Amino acid sequence: MTDTQWETWEVFHQTKRGDPHEHVGAVHAPDAEMALQMARDQFARRLKCASLWVVRSRDITMTDYQDATFFARTTDKSYRDPKAFDAPEKLHP
Amino acid sequence: MISNAPLVEFLTALADDELLIGHRDAEWTGYAPILEEDIAFSNIAQDEIGHGLVWYSLLEPMTGKTPDQMGFERPSADFRCCRFVTYPRGDFAYTVMRQYLYDEAEQVRLESLVACPSTPVRDAAAKILQEEAYHLLHSKGLVLRLGSATEESHGRMAKALADAFPQALGMFEPLNSEGQLIEAGIFPGNASLRVRWMDRILPVLRQATIPVESLGSHDATMKPDLGGRRGDHLPHLAQALSDLQSVYQSEKGASW
Repeated sequence: MTDTQWETWEVFHQTKRGDPHEHVGAVHAPDAEMALQMARDQFARRLKCASLWVVRSRDITMTDYQDATFFARTTDKSYRDPKAFDAPEKLHP
Repeated sequence: MISNAPLVEFLTALADDELLIGHRDAEWTGYAPILEEDIAFSNIAQDEIGHGLVWYSLLEPMTGKTPDQMGFERPSADFRCCRFVTYPRGDFAYTVMRQYLYDEAEQVRLESLVACPSTPVRDAAAKILQEEAYHLLHSKGLVLRLGSATEESHGRMAKALADAFPQALGMFEPLNSEGQLIEAGIFPGNASLRVRWMDRILPVLRQATIPVESLGSHDATMKPDLGGRRGDHLPHLAQALSDLQSVYQSEKGASW
């Protein structure tokens, strides 16, 4: 069966100014403007929201789950890990 | 000083319009053609019913009736909504067109109330306007897109407008106390609201490529669907109310 739904848009939600935009899900919409409206209904109606981003899902380039070697750490890389100092959990104030 | 009766009539019409359009929108919950629109219409339905609650609450000190009594205990003949908002939801094109025509009228009506001498009415109107702006964005967005998307959507939207337009004119049916309300500066009167409404919808409908020639100029020649403002309703209202009121009526006075 062909998909008669509109294309999907990934939605990124920001709780307050300065926070990172976090991915919260996707909506169907015919264009960017409607996608923002749909995203508002799905994700900003109950959540506190300062800003929303929408990105066409097909504009996202992603890695392949099958291609595990892309992330392989086969040799010892422990020298790269921050051991000699405490990394602050929160880098953003 | 204006007596309460005209203001009661005015606010009842306003509140009943909101409750009924909200109820009809809510009938899409679980049935809308696309998930996002299902949620959007459910959201708008809750907003509209919430606006009805605002106006019913303002009425309470004047009528002694609680919002629940106004919404759930009155028979259809006591409702003062226009017939337009009582029609069954129809297809999605009709729903979108009705919502758009209603949202523009609501916008015009609320804007006119921002100058109302009654402080609670003025404040409520200003608050509701903020949410209505979003409704208008949504319904106008859909009208503009569906008007020219495909041959089928264009045809359905054109038919929706032809069906809805005479009904929509009923939103501007004069009230009994129209003259007193205008004189007291409560609102500028339905004839004037209707002119402002036409000035807003025509350019949008034209942009959506939906034919508007048959609507005439500011004085549409077609017969407006009147009666609602004096309680002369179609059977649709009683049908809607029997759904809307059934739970409340099954156990009157129950606390939820």
